[in-house]
Amino acid sequence: MKLSTFNLLNRTLSEQQLSLITRFLLGTSLILIIALSYSYNEINQELINYSEKVNQTQRVISSLNEVSSALYESTYHANTYLFLKDTAYINKTLAAAKTIPALTQKIDSLVVGNESQQKRLEALKVHVGEFSTYTERLAKSATLVNPAIVYALYKKKNLEVDSITKLISEMNNVEGQLMHMRVRSRDNYRLQVFRYNWIIMLVAIVFLSSAFVLLDRELKRNQFYRIDLENKIENLNRSNSELEQFAYVASHDLQEPLRKIRSFSDRLVSKYQEEISDEIFQMLNKIDGSAQRMQLLINDLLSFSRIVKTGSDARLINLNTSLADAKSNLSEMIMENKAVIHSELLPSVEGYGSQMVQLFQNLLSNSIKYHKEDQRPIIRITHRLVNGEIIPGVKPSHQEIQFHQIKISDNGIGFKKEFSEKIFIIFKRLHGRNEFAGTGIGLAICKRVVSNHNGYIFAESTEGEGANFYIYLPSESLLS
Amino acid sequence: MSDKPILMADDDADDRFLVQAAFEDNNLSHSIVFFEDGEQLLNYLIPEEDNSAPNLILLDLNMPKRDGREVLKIIRTNDKWNDIPIIIFSTSNAPDDIVTAYQLGANCYIIKPSSYEELKDVMLSVHKFWL
Repeated sequence: MKLSTFNLLNRTLSEQQLSLITRFLLGTSLILIIALSYSYNEINQELINYSEKVNQTQRVISSLNEVSSALYESTYHANTYLFLKDTAYINKTLAAAKTIPALTQKIDSLVVGNESQQKRLEALKVHVGEFSTYTERLAKSATLVNPAIVYALYKKKNLEVDSITKLISEMNNVEGQLMHMRVRSRDNYRLQVFRYNWIIMLVAIVFLSSAFVLLDRELKRNQFYRIDLENKIENLNRSNSELEQFAYVASHDLQEPLRKIRSFSDRLVSKYQEEISDEIFQMLNKIDGSAQRMQLLINDLLSFSRIVKTGSDARLINLNTSLADAKSNLSEMIMENKAVIHSELLPSVEGYGSQMVQLFQNLLSNSIKYHKEDQRPIIRITHRLVNGEIIPGVKPSHQEIQFHQIKISDNGIGFKKEFSEKIFIIFKRLHGRNEFAGTGIGLAICKRVVSNHNGYIFAESTEGEGANFYIYLPSESLLS
Repeated sequence: MSDKPILMADDDADDRFLVQAAFEDNNLSHSIVFFEDGEQLLNYLIPEEDNSAPNLILLDLNMPKRDGREVLKIIRTNDKWNDIPIIIFSTSNAPDDIVTAYQLGANCYIIKPSSYEELKDVMLSVHKFWL
């Protein structure tokens, strides 16, 4: 029994831990999935930025190429003019040269943030300016016949072309390297984030699968418990009906032989009164007395077993009525002992009417029965509303509930403190049968009635100084 | 009237003996015919001529073959036996049994007393009232 309780506790603990783990796994997976979708968005944006930069480099290169083709076109036309002396080529030279500054201007915005390229671009612009000047002067002087001037200008212009070509080639190299670097770092980034995301995804998948396995196990276990519980309920119902059968057997079949014992010993006495000795007479009396007592015990056991909880019969019970009924049932005893019963106004509770009457009846008759010989019994019944948490040994689920505390105090003989729990045990008696009659069922029935109502009952006393009985009944209905 | 017998059907031999003894100890001289079940009682009753109908029937409820309820029903549906007083003599104190017995036409319901002295008193009162 102890072992199974321990196992159950152990299992319950790991159950709690497992459910915590499952929740953690599910929660983490959810967070990871949200983070993943957010990070994919970010990565996408970042990759677009990278591509943008690569494109920019490509645009710089293509613009530089345009500048150099314009430069070569202009040079080509100038050379052709010098060779053919056809003035039509002068205009073509100028037209090609004129496009160059605009082309260099276009590069301006593309190299922002790159200082070395900006410096080269500035130098390029200067040389382009020089080139334009010399080209124009060459065109103006073309009509002159002094070949020395033309040649000098032509040479200066070509020097500028060389410088420009050199700068463009430098810039192209730089941009080429830049592009290569940017493409590489884009690929690196892509590789890295995807690897990182794969890890996160893998973790999420592992977590989700684990949570799934745990949940599946939990569901199977729940199903198992449910079936187990259903079986237990079935067994309980069966044993309840067996108990009812037992009650029937106890009332009839057990009573039968007792009745015979009593009847025959009776008849023995009445028929052979003259012939039997005093000793035999006393023995027969003892047989009869024992049989009689056993009948009483069986009847008491039967009434105890009849105090059952049947949810459908519960209704609102006015305890004042229950008390009045109990007093009327005990009227003879109250009169004989000149007992005085003071009672405050009692509440109404959800419960079983006849059981409540029995509860008061047993407690009152108890108090009257155990009165002090030199005093008339005085019983006080008081009521107050209390919180569940003040009740000793209250169930955790009852701590938050309000309870009616009904206190029944008497001025009787009381009992020793150590008996305060024993007196509620069935057939437990504190006094010899010669002192006080009874089987010891009364308070056991009280305890059963109170627990049928989800309540609590306690006794408190000091020997010779009366007794207090505390009944706690829930103020809200817990029966269904 | 008193020469007519009392019929008693009870499967419990001890109870038959005790009832006989109670009559004897009360110095009552009725003749009692005992039966172990309801069928025996009916078999005795049916061929009887009208003039020898019993004075009184003491009937146990729970018996083999035909129980007290069946016997009660058969006797009460026969006009010839309508006037025979029938006393149910049973251990059962269940309200259902008592109500059913009266509904079927019992004249009295006595729960078997738990002591011999009581039984003697009960039989004396049966004699005084019904015989």
